[in-house]
Amino acid sequence: MIKLDMGIVYTIINLIVLYFLLRHFLIGPVTQIMEKRKQMIEDGFQNAQKMQDEALQMKQEYENALSGAKQESVQIVENARKSAKSEYDRIVSEAGDKAGSIIESAKETVRVEREKTMREMQSEIAGLAMASAKKIVGDGAQNGRELYDRFLREASEKTGEGSEDENRG
Amino acid sequence: MEWFGDPDEVFSENKKSQSGVRPQACILCRKGASPSGKGGSNTGDLTERLMEELNCETVFTLPVLGGISESVVVTWIIMAVLVIASIILTRNLRVENPGKVQIALEAAIGWAQDFFEGIIGKENRKYVPYLITVILYLAAANTIAPLCGFKPPTKDLNVTAGLAIMSMFVIEFSGIRKNGLKHWVKHFAEPVPVVAPIMVLEIVIRPLSLCMRLFGNMLAGFVVLELLKCFVPLIIPIPVSFYFDIFDGLLQAYVFVFLTAIFMTEEME
Repeated sequence: MIKLDMGIVYTIINLIVLYFLLRHFLIGPVTQIMEKRKQMIEDGFQNAQKMQDEALQMKQEYENALSGAKQESVQIVENARKSAKSEYDRIVSEAGDKAGSIIESAKETVRVEREKTMREMQSEIAGLAMASAKKIVGDGAQNGRELYDRFLREASEKTGEGSEDENRG
Repeated sequence: MEWFGDPDEVFSENKKSQSGVRPQACILCRKGASPSGKGGSNTGDLTERLMEELNCETVFTLPVLGGISESVVVTWIIMAVLVIASIILTRNLRVENPGKVQIALEAAIGWAQDFFEGIIGKENRKYVPYLITVILYLAAANTIAPLCGFKPPTKDLNVTAGLAIMSMFVIEFSGIRKNGLKHWVKHFAEPVPVVAPIMVLEIVIRPLSLCMRLFGNMLAGFVVLELLKCFVPLIIPIPVSFYFDIFDGLLQAYVFVFLTAIFMTEEME
């Protein structure tokens, strides 16, 4: 029952052979597959991490760009408003100035015209007066009443309605 | 494979092993139980039958190498089955979408790898395939009796001794490989030089204990089961066989590689 013989050697040889066979046919392939899968999963995680980092970075950039753009747009609008206001002010003040000057010149023209007219009228009246006076003096002016009427008639013919108003007033 | 040696002898031996000793033993038992039998001679017959059962027959004899015992042949069968099973199981391995068989296989191998790496450390993982080989072989060898009807090879002292000697070599080799020959020689004198003889003895004691533990367990289980089969041939041996062959067999396989791994760790410290 208990005896040792060559069986020990055979067992050792068997074990070594079995070791190489199993390592080659069982443990090797299975371990390889598991390593491969582990590698794949790690790669996947790494890729995912990388992508996430990239996405975050891009998001940051976009946000920066966006806030910059917002500020810029605000700035632009502000500038535009400012320039528009100044332009408006300038135009309005210019227009006021121009209108004032136009009114001024119009007044001036009117005044000059009136003065001229007055002067002409005065000279006309003076002429008339002179003529009438001559007539009166020349004809001997028998009928004062007739003379007066004629004078008025001539005067009204010359001066038109304006003088009629004056007469009426 | 050719038969060598005396054909008559081989034939008779074959006939003996083929006809099966268990039925004979049981017939003897029944004979012993008959009222005409004498108690003393019955016990003697039983002992004789048991001894015959416990002997490992020489299946055939090779020239030069000598007799090939039953346990070696059963070992070859186990090896063939294990290798063929591994080839079949690892045929269609895929990295993505593994099948159920592959998942189970990976779970088993992964568990074994984690288990051994947990004991001997990740940096010594090159010894893991050897330990997995041993545990697979022992699990198959210890449970082969109820599964296939062969006598378990681990019941043969030669097989357990061979396994233990391999373990011894692996244990000492791992220590020398890890820490160098000088450290290996020096470590016998630690912590004090007085213990050196005991430490040297340990080289032999470790494999001896491994060998004897396995052999004793398997032999005891085998003897208990054979006796039980003689007395109660029906049903009762089933749970007992489950305990002694399956449970104890797997436990002893586990213990054997577990202790080997622990001794390796000690040696590599």
